[in-house]
Amino acid sequence: MSFQITDIPRILPELMLLLLGLMVLGSDVLTRWGRGPQAQLERAREAGQLTAIGLGLIFIVGLVQSRFLFTVPDPSGGPLDVLLTLGRNLQAGGPGGSPILGAFATDEFTMVARLTFIGAAFLTTLLAMGYRLTANPGEFYGLLIFSTLGMSIMAAATEFILAYLALELSSISLYVLAGYFRESERSPEAGLKYFLFGSLSSAIFLYGISLVYGFVASENQKAGGTPIVATLFSEVGRFATGDAASSPLLILGMLFVIAGLGYKISVVPFHTWAPDVYQGAPPPVTAFLSTASKAAGFLLLYRLLTTAFPGAVGTPRLEEFSGWTSVLAILALVTVIVGNLAALPQTNARRLLAYSSIGHAGFLLLAALIWSSTSPADRAFGTAALIYYLIVYTLTNLGSFGVLAVLTNALGSDDLGAMQGLWQRNMVLTLMMTILILSLAGIPPLAGFWAKFFVFMAGYQAGAVPLVTIAVIMTVVSLYYYLRFLKAMWILPAPETTPFKTPPVANAAIIVSTVLVVLLGLLPNLIWGTISTAASVAAR
Amino acid sequence: MNLIDLPANVPWLSLIWLSLVIPTLIIALMKPEQKEEIRIVGTVFSFISLALTLLVYLAYDYRSPEKFQFLEEIPWLPELGINYILGVDGISLPMLLLNGIVIFTGALISWNIEDRAREYWALLLLLAAGVYGVFVSLDLFLLFIFYELAVLPMYLLIGIWGSTRKEYGAMKLTLYLMGGSAFIILGMVAMYFSGMLRTFDMRLLAQSALFSRDVQIVFFVPLFLGFGVLAGMFPFHTWSPTGHVAAPTAVSMLHAGVLMKLGAYGCLRVAMWIFPEGANYWLLPIAIATLINAVYGATIAMMQRDFKFMIGYSSVSHMGLTLMGLAAANTIGLTGAVLQMFAHGVMTALFFAVVGRMVYDRTHTRQFPELGGLFSVMPFAAIVFIIAGLSSMGMPGLAGFWAEFNIFMGMWQRFPLIAVLAGVSIPITAGYILMAAYRVFFGEMKNPEFRHLPKITVQEYVAGVILVAVLIISGIYPAYLTEPIEASVQPIAEALARAGTLGVRYP
Repeated sequence: MSFQITDIPRILPELMLLLLGLMVLGSDVLTRWGRGPQAQLERAREAGQLTAIGLGLIFIVGLVQSRFLFTVPDPSGGPLDVLLTLGRNLQAGGPGGSPILGAFATDEFTMVARLTFIGAAFLTTLLAMGYRLTANPGEFYGLLIFSTLGMSIMAAATEFILAYLALELSSISLYVLAGYFRESERSPEAGLKYFLFGSLSSAIFLYGISLVYGFVASENQKAGGTPIVATLFSEVGRFATGDAASSPLLILGMLFVIAGLGYKISVVPFHTWAPDVYQGAPPPVTAFLSTASKAAGFLLLYRLLTTAFPGAVGTPRLEEFSGWTSVLAILALVTVIVGNLAALPQTNARRLLAYSSIGHAGFLLLAALIWSSTSPADRAFGTAALIYYLIVYTLTNLGSFGVLAVLTNALGSDDLGAMQGLWQRNMVLTLMMTILILSLAGIPPLAGFWAKFFVFMAGYQAGAVPLVTIAVIMTVVSLYYYLRFLKAMWILPAPETTPFKTPPVANAAIIVSTVLVVLLGLLPNLIWGTISTAASVAAR
Repeated sequence: MNLIDLPANVPWLSLIWLSLVIPTLIIALMKPEQKEEIRIVGTVFSFISLALTLLVYLAYDYRSPEKFQFLEEIPWLPELGINYILGVDGISLPMLLLNGIVIFTGALISWNIEDRAREYWALLLLLAAGVYGVFVSLDLFLLFIFYELAVLPMYLLIGIWGSTRKEYGAMKLTLYLMGGSAFIILGMVAMYFSGMLRTFDMRLLAQSALFSRDVQIVFFVPLFLGFGVLAGMFPFHTWSPTGHVAAPTAVSMLHAGVLMKLGAYGCLRVAMWIFPEGANYWLLPIAIATLINAVYGATIAMMQRDFKFMIGYSSVSHMGLTLMGLAAANTIGLTGAVLQMFAHGVMTALFFAVVGRMVYDRTHTRQFPELGGLFSVMPFAAIVFIIAGLSSMGMPGLAGFWAEFNIFMGMWQRFPLIAVLAGVSIPITAGYILMAAYRVFFGEMKNPEFRHLPKITVQEYVAGVILVAVLIISGIYPAYLTEPIEASVQPIAEALARAGTLGVRYP
């Protein structure tokens, strides 16, 4: 395995993201902007438009490259030959292959993840464009793009060092973004808190890696093998089998890795930063933070655990503790309970959704438990359930945090109390928020229902019946606080009835996510086939 | 035997539920000020849906060996065995007809809603569309989706347009019912994985010997309880009176009239049909719970000072009888149960129409001590109330008689003691109905202002007459209901009986 020139098209979307980030930063710096408020607005708009167009373009490139929609036919001498040739060349770098010395997997799994992150970043950009940005818009959008780049590499990484670098790239950008509102009270606090928590967690993650590295190196030496790249997931997986899989060094390393990533996916007990940061960060950043960032953490954790530690998979049945599925089962148990119960007394909408998203992380973990089954079909189903949930969750939470961003902008507050009588003030927004909230609550026929049902199926099939029972009961608990949104918006009397308008760009983002939530609910097989393919590749 | 033939290439069942989704969308696009037009659209479409169910009812051939007719199958998520499968048999047909009658009369009763009429009508029709969907689904997954669709609009309907502690009632009702569906989800997942077929098609799942006895016994419980919550089964019934009282009239009608039947229908169609051995194992505890339901519900109804609470508890009592018919688990008991669902649905819709619309919306009180002497002001309300009351006491010649008669016969064959004890509920029912009729319509008029109450409107007359007519027709000629019902419950009763005699453990 060595670096080849054909690797470049495989990581084309990542390279394009890098270029776009630099462009956005550069165009902001290189233009001479006036000082007045009008010039500031102009400057923010230009950076936003460049980012949105660029991300849209990269999304299309990624979509064509993935061959999910269509395979470009051979050029046949027609007027569209240029396009067809371009498309064919692009698809030559499609699913398959492992560029950069095997540290990077460009399989369907990566493609789905990449599209999710870029799509989420695109919608976030639209939300941010509808929001008042105070200073340095170039930095804001640039960091957003770099963070997306980091996530996209996270999901593709099959090597510890690359995974760590990607994790840091996405996290450090987000620390800055979370503290972006320097004048506000809460935003710098959010940024600092996130930074402290994140840096501690990444230190733990790094320590876990070093333990695993030591394990592989010593095992290799024992076996008398030639020196190897001991940080590839698959190399770890090769040594972590049989008796070696229960080596304390490896188990400790694995626990540290899970703990280090635990903050990224905000599972209990690594969740304490989430409510403060979600509430304090600029609303569009919260939307991005709670969705794409979490999804990236999940996908990295999943790929890491399944390829590096397949020997230590264990069982999710709580009575016989063994392996990482047991660890995840316990985390899932604590997370669904704490997340959903802590959401009950909240009065701030964003804080409430923060706890709800912690609860969702618990449901998501259920899907990963099925890896304890040895049947590839079961494993593929669990993976598909995980990806489906992540996509749906990303869409739904982007939409609902987007609504809250609009509300914060228009009403100056995101307390539940401020949402009272919203139907009188903005009917369309209320309707969309209702759909999104119901999808989060898992009400059919919306996409969130299928997602929850799939993970319950996966958890049941993995043998974690008591855990699934508790999770199912927790969905009823969660319904209570989701209904509080409906109560505030539809039932309680409005303190004020003057209508307000949704900024058109933000509206577009919310409409897209709402329509997709409804569409994926009515026709889940629109993406289920693609996801199954990606899942069966990852489960191989 | 079918009376008419319908062209086979029309998706009749899809049309039925779509006939209420379409007006929901139309109404959502109308202006809030167009109240009159909204009412007309809503009423016309609910009449269309009633007409469609009537057509399907008349065209159903219950003598045919094909129990399920008007089948429609479209793949939905075939990789997981989830498909859009519709079909009706003699159990779902009376329920469809019931829903058609109740939504049409409920629409007529709703003409006085002025506040946020557009949202009200959209939600009301959506709710009824969900109910239709449940009764026509043969795929368990699809059934569940429609089921939730029928439950959720209730929250807003009660929360916005309700009375008496509406927010509390709405939240309690929704959480109880969603708690029930959480149980159902659990049972569904278990059902999916423990039968080897990996399908949600209930016709396949109901094949005998697909599930081991242990699976049936364990997972019958969440399924039956889950649906039982909606049927108002003791001890999960407390949401129902609170919810009914808080709800606006048409919603109470739909809720007590049809939605609670969804629960009983689910118990029969899902839990008992698919897990006959599990059902057989749990018959006695269920029978005891339903006994408490029937007697305790009736007793509590007797004690109420609030007219609507009394009706709410009478629903609990009558649904107890329905579930008792299910617990009898023989052809005659199951027939009685389905018949009771129909009879009670019509009857309780009439009750709520009288209490909520004709009396409360005019007098603005439901307390017995404040009412009285209303016969002279609204004789129509008094007469239809008394007819409904007679039906609920089981007066021969009205629909309720046949239903209760069959249920008690069935129970007598299964657990004679429980049948005898449950018989106590009949005189208690007679007691509270007569007492209510006396206190509200006869006796002295407490409030002289009642003399000048507004007249009963045309819509109310039409709704009342339709409901009374159905009660009387079904009382005089119950065969139009019982024959298809009997033909369809027979296989279920046979499976239950087989499970009873088998008694051996499957491998």
